[in-house]
Amino acid sequence: MDRYFFLFLKMNVSKWLEAHTDRSANLITLPRNAILADISGTGDYNLVITDLKFKTDNKSRLKTFRGTILISDQALPSLPNSLISFFADRLEPRIPVVGVACGSEVFFYKNLKPFYQFRVPSCPLIDHESNIWKEIIETKQFDVDKMVESLKEIPYSNLSSRSQQLLTEYSLTKAEAFIRKYMDSIPVKDDTITCMITLERTSKDKTSISCPIIATEFSNIYILDPQNFSIIQQANTCNTAATPFLIRCSGLYDVEFRILIATREGHICLLRKGWLEGKSLIQLKSDIVDMVLVPGDNFIVVASVDKIIQCFTKRGQRLWSSEVNSPITTMCLVRLEHLSTSLVAIGLKNGSIQFYQGRQAVDYLSIADSPSVIVFGQLGQEENVLVVITAGGSISFKILKRTAEFSNVPQESTPLIQSKPLPLPKRSKLFLEQSIRERQHALEIHQTFQQDLIRLRLTAARALIQNLTDQSGIGNEKEQIKLSAQVLGLGPKFTIVLTLENINPTKPLVGLKVTFHVNPLYYILSNYVIKIPLIPPSLSFKMQIKAKEIMEESGNEEQSNSNAIRVFVSRQEFSIPVLAATINMPPTELIA
Amino acid sequence: MGLFQKLVNLLGVGRKEVNVLVVGLNNSGKTTVVNSFKSEEDKMTDIVPTVGFNIEKFQNQNLAFTAFDMSGHGRYRDLWEHYYKECHGIIFVIDSSDRLRLVVVKEELDLLLQHPNICQKSIPILFFANKMDCKDALSSVKIAAALGLDKIMDKPWHISASNALTGEGLQEGVEWLTQQIRENLNVKH
Repeated sequence: MDRYFFLFLKMNVSKWLEAHTDRSANLITLPRNAILADISGTGDYNLVITDLKFKTDNKSRLKTFRGTILISDQALPSLPNSLISFFADRLEPRIPVVGVACGSEVFFYKNLKPFYQFRVPSCPLIDHESNIWKEIIETKQFDVDKMVESLKEIPYSNLSSRSQQLLTEYSLTKAEAFIRKYMDSIPVKDDTITCMITLERTSKDKTSISCPIIATEFSNIYILDPQNFSIIQQANTCNTAATPFLIRCSGLYDVEFRILIATREGHICLLRKGWLEGKSLIQLKSDIVDMVLVPGDNFIVVASVDKIIQCFTKRGQRLWSSEVNSPITTMCLVRLEHLSTSLVAIGLKNGSIQFYQGRQAVDYLSIADSPSVIVFGQLGQEENVLVVITAGGSISFKILKRTAEFSNVPQESTPLIQSKPLPLPKRSKLFLEQSIRERQHALEIHQTFQQDLIRLRLTAARALIQNLTDQSGIGNEKEQIKLSAQVLGLGPKFTIVLTLENINPTKPLVGLKVTFHVNPLYYILSNYVIKIPLIPPSLSFKMQIKAKEIMEESGNEEQSNSNAIRVFVSRQEFSIPVLAATINMPPTELIA
Repeated sequence: MGLFQKLVNLLGVGRKEVNVLVVGLNNSGKTTVVNSFKSEEDKMTDIVPTVGFNIEKFQNQNLAFTAFDMSGHGRYRDLWEHYYKECHGIIFVIDSSDRLRLVVVKEELDLLLQHPNICQKSIPILFFANKMDCKDALSSVKIAAALGLDKIMDKPWHISASNALTGEGLQEGVEWLTQQIRENLNVKH
């Protein structure tokens, strides 16, 4: 009893300590918009998040927490979409740069002060569109209807934002005013940033210099120099139409690196050092929700909208997949250096977080509502902190216990290591002689064995044939009934003796009946249905019926096909027979 | 013999030696606390995170203290329990400004109290709610409540707010500890 109680306790004790929960924090944060970084360079790690505000009069904020306390809150110029932090230089104290992507710009902050703004190069306009605007600039005259018509010839998504806005204006006067306002310049087609990541430059330590990588709506990938923010490599995501929305990388910029880009079309593309265009590595049937790279093996774990988590090798071969019980909202890599393992935290819409180690769910956390972002790492002085911000705006901090272990429960797939050696007998003289004999007479021994085997098979086959032809011995193993029949007489009148045996040593047979099925053209029976009385265990019941063959000279040939009487043993209430048998009737010996 | 013993005690030659264990999370100020007990000439000027542990000696009221200043870093906390057996008292240092890790402090304290070498002994535990000068520091009362110190029935304990940099609050605490250890020793002999 005590032991059970202990087990019960052990199963329920969480591996996580509840450090702090604020249900009224009212934060709207999306995945990839929360980071843990030592922004002051004191070794006290901070949580930096973006808090989205969708109303136009209310600006989104960049918020910084020290421990659980908000220490900085500044307005962002527009809606942020991703957040990164990286070390740009080796100056002491080591203070990382925080980058926030808003629209087509990245704002870089150091020490919580903005210090650089990077703008993604704009895309060239389509000739047709630029000609339209050029004409207006030159002539200063325009016809709104004609202009709108000609702009509509171009696919909407290929237009610059100015032309797009013009096409959405309904009233003629407003459209005219709009054109007048901008008729001095050619519009630019802005490229919007969709996601960012950082890639270490020369070494893998915690404070090594990293390059920011930016992916854009028009599927461009830019790798920036961390010192002067110039583009050091530019590439296209994929050779087909692909919109990146999530980017992960491994390796080092100076040595060799792999960038994995998840696209809205369900592709995962690979980009390596020196490539100008990525290659599609994996194609998924459903939309991707999130993706993480597990360090070490470089496995790619992908969550999709159909509640499935899949794991691929770095070459794109699928290793395993697992289905969860609720839609996945976010994923997060949980690196446990002290245990030298990595878990993948999977946030589910039903308000739980599952932790996967490889393909196994090893832990489970339950939170207030569906998590919108999960981030794990050092916060303050504590190394293993899990910060969860939910869709409802609450923020909670959980600390992994020092004593927590994620030991792998023995899997079915991995065979248990054989600890004991096989109990082999000692090599006796007899054994040696035998083995010598086997070596010398291998051919004869083999032939003898084969002969015996064939004989055995022949005996078995003979016995089977005999059993099939001999009507006695039809039985039903499950019901433990055995039926045998005997046909007496020379014809045309026969007597059939049926023996129904109860093989069951304990239970009697009750409520059975025997039905005879016969072609009435050939046979007439004395009785067609017989009710069977109770048969006690291990005893049998004998019954007798008379059969009379109808003699017809002309039908002799056909008769050979149907000279059978079928017997069904069934329970009275059920239509499915317990046992069925066929009695082949011998032909009547006509005495001349 | 009795007279001689009295004489020795009076002259302070046969001072009793006691071991105290200084534990607490990393960055709570254990080394700084121990440092301020040392005499002027032994004091260190800069304090770096302890690796493993340090052994420091200091005196208070005729008791010679050997302090095992343990490292509070997560990966060295396993070492603490190896010194539970020989210690006469425990000094538990808490960073009162680190609200996030108060749960971790509680967890470590619970592990300490549940340890077989500790739970059977009635050794005194002195808590220092250190860094009381920090502006978002919690009061010693709040910390005592958060750690559930009132549930410790079988051991004498004491909490004092301290500032190890200036030495505020330390003397009060250590005098309490000295008294407790002295009482324990007298009971035994």
